[in-house]
Amino acid sequence: MSEEALPLAGLLVLDVSTFIAAPAAAVALADYGADVIKIEAPGEGDPHRHNYKRSATYPRSDRNFPLQLDGRLKRSIALDLKKDTARPVLEKLIRRADIMIVNFPPPARERLKLRWEDVEPLNPRLVYCSLTGYGETGPDRDRPGFDVSAYFGRSGILDAARYEGGPPGLSLPAQGDRATAMTLVAAILLGLRHRDQTGKGSWVGTSLYANGAWANGTTLAGAAIGAKMVPRWPPDKPRNALTNLYRTRDDRWLQLLVVRDDRLWDTFCRAIGRPELANDTRFTDREERKQRALELHAELAPVFAARSYPEWEKALANTGIPFGVIERVTDVVDDEQAGHAGIFAETANPEVPRTVNNPIRLGFAKPRRSGRPAAVGQHSEEILRELSYSEAEIDVLKKSGALG
Amino acid sequence: MTDSALPLAGLRVLDISSFIAAPAAAVVLGDWGADVIKIEGPDGDPNRRIMHDSSNYPKSPVNYPWQMDSRNKRSIVLDLKQPAARAALDRLIAKSDILICNFPPLVREKLKLTYDDIKPVNPRLIYASLTGYGEQGPDRDRPGFDATAYFARSGLLDAQRYEDGPPGVPGPAQGDRATAMTLVSAILMALIHRTKTGEGSWVGTSLLGNGLWSCGVIAQAALVGAFLGPRPPPDRPRSALGNIYRTSDDRWLQLTIVRTDKLWAPLCQALERPDLIDDPRFAAEAERRARSAELAAIFSEAFARKPYEHWRKALAAKEVTFGVISRPQDVPDDQQAVACGAVVETAMPDMKRTLANPVQLGFAKQRPAQPAPALGQHSDEILGEAGLSAAEIVALKASGAVR
Repeated sequence: MSEEALPLAGLLVLDVSTFIAAPAAAVALADYGADVIKIEAPGEGDPHRHNYKRSATYPRSDRNFPLQLDGRLKRSIALDLKKDTARPVLEKLIRRADIMIVNFPPPARERLKLRWEDVEPLNPRLVYCSLTGYGETGPDRDRPGFDVSAYFGRSGILDAARYEGGPPGLSLPAQGDRATAMTLVAAILLGLRHRDQTGKGSWVGTSLYANGAWANGTTLAGAAIGAKMVPRWPPDKPRNALTNLYRTRDDRWLQLLVVRDDRLWDTFCRAIGRPELANDTRFTDREERKQRALELHAELAPVFAARSYPEWEKALANTGIPFGVIERVTDVVDDEQAGHAGIFAETANPEVPRTVNNPIRLGFAKPRRSGRPAAVGQHSEEILRELSYSEAEIDVLKKSGALG
Repeated sequence: MTDSALPLAGLRVLDISSFIAAPAAAVVLGDWGADVIKIEGPDGDPNRRIMHDSSNYPKSPVNYPWQMDSRNKRSIVLDLKQPAARAALDRLIAKSDILICNFPPLVREKLKLTYDDIKPVNPRLIYASLTGYGEQGPDRDRPGFDATAYFARSGLLDAQRYEDGPPGVPGPAQGDRATAMTLVSAILMALIHRTKTGEGSWVGTSLLGNGLWSCGVIAQAALVGAFLGPRPPPDRPRSALGNIYRTSDDRWLQLTIVRTDKLWAPLCQALERPDLIDDPRFAAEAERRARSAELAAIFSEAFARKPYEHWRKALAAKEVTFGVISRPQDVPDDQQAVACGAVVETAMPDMKRTLANPVQLGFAKQRPAQPAPALGQHSDEILGEAGLSAAEIVALKASGAVR
């Protein structure tokens, strides 16, 4: 597969964004062939470059593993957008670009003249993609948004993800950011389609809050019409013993998900070695099984505790009973199935030899193999030469501090 | 804005899928103008009944999850196990642009619904596949749900637990809906490919792949051998100033204080514990860290004395940084949820508001939600559009292949 055959080959993307959701969208575009230029501040660059050392919620490593994920396949130009001399460089880039991704909060965009209305006159064919924490209008539009606050806290996910009587649920670093990146990709591709159809660029965007709300959409659509919220009972007090967690003999958690117990009840009772339960008059139909969830749990918990998870895996295989294990991420990276699903990819970077693919699979193209992520400003001079800057002009920009 | 100006106007989508992730992707395409035909078996998509069947769904007289995942679709009932119905499907495929399928691979083979089966019928078709665990490998035939494939198998739920606690709990369809956006992106990539080459293609994604993408930081860390243990529970946090506290009305507030020296005194004042400001036990950050459990106990007792609204105002007044943990029932009336386009009005009297898909476009607005179709509501009309004669339709119905 040549790179020209990738669906986004030939498109120039300016990634004028920081941290994770917006840069991760640019990564997905790069994976499928786009030429992505990351515009970042001279010196430290995108603060996300330092998260692996600074953030208490990141696993410790001396290797910059998050950058492989969020910085791969990009070129970096270090440009101090606060300096007037940097502006002409940026404008030249904007004139050439197809897509520009921005996640500054609205006041910073205004200050830096980076709003759609500021850049549209420079390049009316540009697809301008905006990410905010909380949307483009409204009382909280200027509030910086992070995934734990905007995607998870504000959307009600953390409150919904708690066991009755327990603390709110937990989210993982960048968990909502990366889901949001897929929405940004969809928005950008709709913008490209619109350009194909009309010749015109456009503003497209999304917010972390709207993505959290979408992920929590089932519950929120219920809340919007006053549906009665249901608490999540802890695994030892389930409301439905057939869709519940059970601890196995080897201290793993088996997740049982018999949603279609109208069909699977007999099969289930046989598969767990308790065929007589199928004839137990306490549990003859769905309603009774639900009403007597605690009684049924009392029957099932010791059954599951008596065998190890691998034994259960064998016993339930090919029965049609949906189940899984609460997998540990340290095991998943070696999960054969993850390999078959195309989830991980080899890199050409010896420090981080494997990375996580974006989840889009295409029959006609494979994501590009990534090398070592660019250092801050690694391609500054190369990119300026492509814009026809002379060596003397590049020198002046460097001396002024506008270019790093 | 007329419908024809929507970016996906003129495209026909066959939604041969059930439950949530794949049908939700079809919803997004419909929101942006595509003509979405839902093809259901004689029993209908089980998602029509999930609100009653699942204990985790809020209950309402209105079937809101079905409405949300089927808005702006038409429904035809085809019993694809019958050859006559399968042949009618080919007539529809010949006139469609996109087909979304989430049957497990074995069922696809049985129903002759693999991409290889369908490509000859319409080489320009975009075939979008959703699986739980991918198209190959030992678990490819295992039915995948979002709780199992996206959340459990990916390591998300294990990582989302407090030390010694049970695994985390996902919200209903939380991973499904995130996955839907990936499927939409995959389909749009294929449309770009078709514009360039004239050719259709296979595209797809898996719930497992999306779960792992979402927990990419810890997965990428694990790939280089780095691991962080579970978070200590709120009663013995790593830092009492970056911890959650329960209020008297059973709500939770999240203190997110990074500049602890600067905000220590204002926090103590907001908590009405000025005596703590000069308490030598907590004189500086090092002591506060070393005694974080002791300090967390003091704060817990303070927060438990007054309700959420009191603390929200008291902390804001002292400019103490904290995060809001909204309850789902608060979100629809949150002005900002409307401002960011998440909560929108529908064209339906018994369900006046719903959740929009999270894509915003400057050049088009999402179509307002019309009622979801009854099972087979549009069977005749759809078959007519596919070029079947009235006599053929009558015969199909008489045979039970169509309803």
